[in-house]
Formats: sequence, structure tokens, C-alpha cells
Amino acid sequence: MLRLLILLLLPLAALFLQASIFSVFNIKGAVPDLLLIFIIFFALINGPKKGGVYGLLCGLLEDLYLGRFIGMNAIAKGITGYAIGNLQINVFKENLLVGVISVLIGSILNIIILLLLTVVFSTSFSVDLHFLVDVFFHLSYNFLLAIPLYMWYYNSSKSGILKNNGER
Amino acid sequence: MLFTMRYTAADRENITWGEKMLHEMYTPLLSGVKDLQGIGSGFSSFFEDKSSLNAQIDALEEEVASLKMEINRLQEYREEIERLRALLALQEEKEEYRLLAARVIARSPNNWYRFVTINKGSNDGIRKDLPVINKDGLVGRVTSVNQNSARVFLLSDREIAVGATIQRTRETQGIVEGLGQNRTLNMINIPYYSEIEEGDLVITSGLSLIYPRGLMIGTATDITKEPNGLLLTAKVLPAVDFNKLEEVMVIIDYNPEILEE
Repeated sequence: MLRLLILLLLPLAALFLQASIFSVFNIKGAVPDLLLIFIIFFALINGPKKGGVYGLLCGLLEDLYLGRFIGMNAIAKGITGYAIGNLQINVFKENLLVGVISVLIGSILNIIILLLLTVVFSTSFSVDLHFLVDVFFHLSYNFLLAIPLYMWYYNSSKSGILKNNGER
Repeated sequence: MLFTMRYTAADRENITWGEKMLHEMYTPLLSGVKDLQGIGSGFSSFFEDKSSLNAQIDALEEEVASLKMEINRLQEYREEIERLRALLALQEEKEEYRLLAARVIARSPNNWYRFVTINKGSNDGIRKDLPVINKDGLVGRVTSVNQNSARVFLLSDREIAVGATIQRTRETQGIVEGLGQNRTLNMINIPYYSEIEEGDLVITSGLSLIYPRGLMIGTATDITKEPNGLLLTAKVLPAVDFNKLEEVMVIIDYNPEILEE
């Protein structure tokens, strides 16, 4: 029960932190995607199906908060969660690098999906140098945050509040 | 000896030259000894009171840290006062608008949209599509309103477009649109014959239904001709620093509907 509560509170807290603290402490205007980072960690530990559903729900939460193109982040994060979840049985999750590289791959995949959806649904979008610079700083920020967050998330999933043993 | 004893028993006006010489000779030596005594007492107290000194150092370090925090807090207050003064000056300067000051309480949580959330909503008279400015110029417009907060999409957002003109000539018309990042805007649809030059100030044209005329947008740079040869495009450096927005003003009494009434 506590685990479910934490899994529910994490995206809410992530969104709040992104809109407040991290948007102020941005890197050249780029903010990290904490929500995506948690989706990737969840998918990595719980597999593609759960990862996809969790990504979809978290993305929907973000869409509802943003209030524009509702469903875009749900699709992008759902697909990203599903794709990263497929790595579950093929990688050594104990390795910090696995978590960090998964975040990098997941972030790039998420951007590509969002880009495709934006090009389809928005008439005023073009990929220019500024966009690429923003993407670079966004990826760097995600990468940096993934290091401490994965250490916490993995340990919590293994023997802490996020452990799925049917008791919590 | 008896004589000298008797002579020196009472208070004297002056001491003798022999005494003076002796005093002069000893003075530096005694000063040196005094200094040595100071060092010695410091040396001994270093060992004797080491723990109390350490405690004193800890207390002083704590005090320094607390004072530093206090200085930072006061600097924050000073900057806030300066910003509020600028907003007040703006309110006095723009007599034609009824302005409502608001504080930025949140920003866009991702890199795809550029918006801020302000702490004033429908309870304060905020409505959708009201223009938002600060002391430097146009910030954006209100796109959604709650009871106690409102969302303001910034000029730098990709979905925002504003009718614009060049302040110097007042003839050149165009549309300023956001590029999804806070450093540059794009001015498009400028007729090829326009007398636009780099460094020209770009202001709102007033042709838009939302933004009143004359609000500062930025400075034109990097003017290029479109491939069709009929239109020009210019980059615009925004007058407002969108990354550092903390307080803004909502123009609540400028609305085409109100004007028509």
C-alpha cells in the first residue's frame, strides 16, 4: 500500500519540482524531466507492460497540468516506458551505469516521439540550432540527476519503500 | 644615601638625568618582555583553553554562516524592493492602462512550452487573453485562468504571435513569433521594401486584438530576405529576460471589448 502511495506521489512531486525549483535552476533555459526519469526507473525494474502503463498515466498527468496537446506526453512517455521496460531481463540493474544510460536512451526516445507528434499536430514548429542546444542541456541535466536518483530508486526497490513483496 | 633617600621620599617635580637614562635603556627591553609575556600567555592559554577556544571558533563560524545567510536574505529583499519600485514606476507611467501586479509562482515544467503561472486569478479580475508586461516590455498573454492563479504563455512560446511594428519608422509591419526558447524571437511577414535596420526597436503594432500598441518587444537583428523575395525575416532579441521573471503586470483594463463599449 505504501509502495503504491509512493509511486503515486513520485510523479506529483516530480512535476511540482520541475515547475518550481528546477525551472528556476535551469541550465541555459533547459529543465530536467524528473517524471520521465522515474518512469524509466520503474520500467527498468518492473518490465514493459507495467512500465508502459505507468508511463502513460504519468504522461497524462503532465498533459493535464500543461493543458495543451493533451495525450502527447501520455503517448510519448507510455511508449518510452514500454521500450525501456523491455531491457528489464537483459541488463544488470545493479549497475549504476545501466540506470544512467537507460535515462539517456529513454530521454532521446521521448524527444523523438514528442518531436514527431509535434510536427504532426503543430504548424509552427521547426528544428533549429536553439532547439538542439536545448535538447543537449536537457539530456545533460537528466543524465546528471539520474546518477543519485537511480542509486536511491534501485535501493528502495530492492530493500526499501518501493520493494514489491506483497506486504507493502 | 640617607640624603638621597630623604630627597626621593617625597613626590618630585622631575627625575634625574641618570634615572631618565636608565629608564630609556630599559623601556625597549621591558616592552620586549611584555610582548613575550603576551606570547607566553597566549601560548599557555592555547593549551589550557584549547577546548574553550575550539568552542569559540565553532560559535564564531556559526555566527558567520548565519550572518552570511542574513546578508543574502537582505540582498534578496533589496532586489525585490527595486523590482517592485520599477513596477510601481511603470504603473504610474502607463496611466492609460489599469495594471495588476502579480508574482510568478511557477514555470513550465518542460522544455516544449514556455509559460509561467502567476498568483492572481479570476478572483482578482484576471481574464483570458489579457496582455502581461513588466518594466522592460511585453511578457506574453494570459491563456487560462483559475480562481487564484493564471497561466501566462510567454512571447517566446512557439504558439504565441504578436502583431509588431518598427518604432523608428512606424510603417513596417510584421508578426513576432516565439521560437520555443527564451533568447531569440522571430519577426516574419515583413514586406521587402520595409526600411528595417539592425538595432531598430520592435514594438506591438496594435493591430492585434489582444495587445495594445506601443509595448516594447525587443531589438531587430539579423535581417534576411525570404526565398520568394517578397518578404523579410528578422531575429528579435527580446527586451524582457524571460528566464528571470519574478513579478509582472497584467493589463486588466485594456481589452478590445471594453474599448468598443
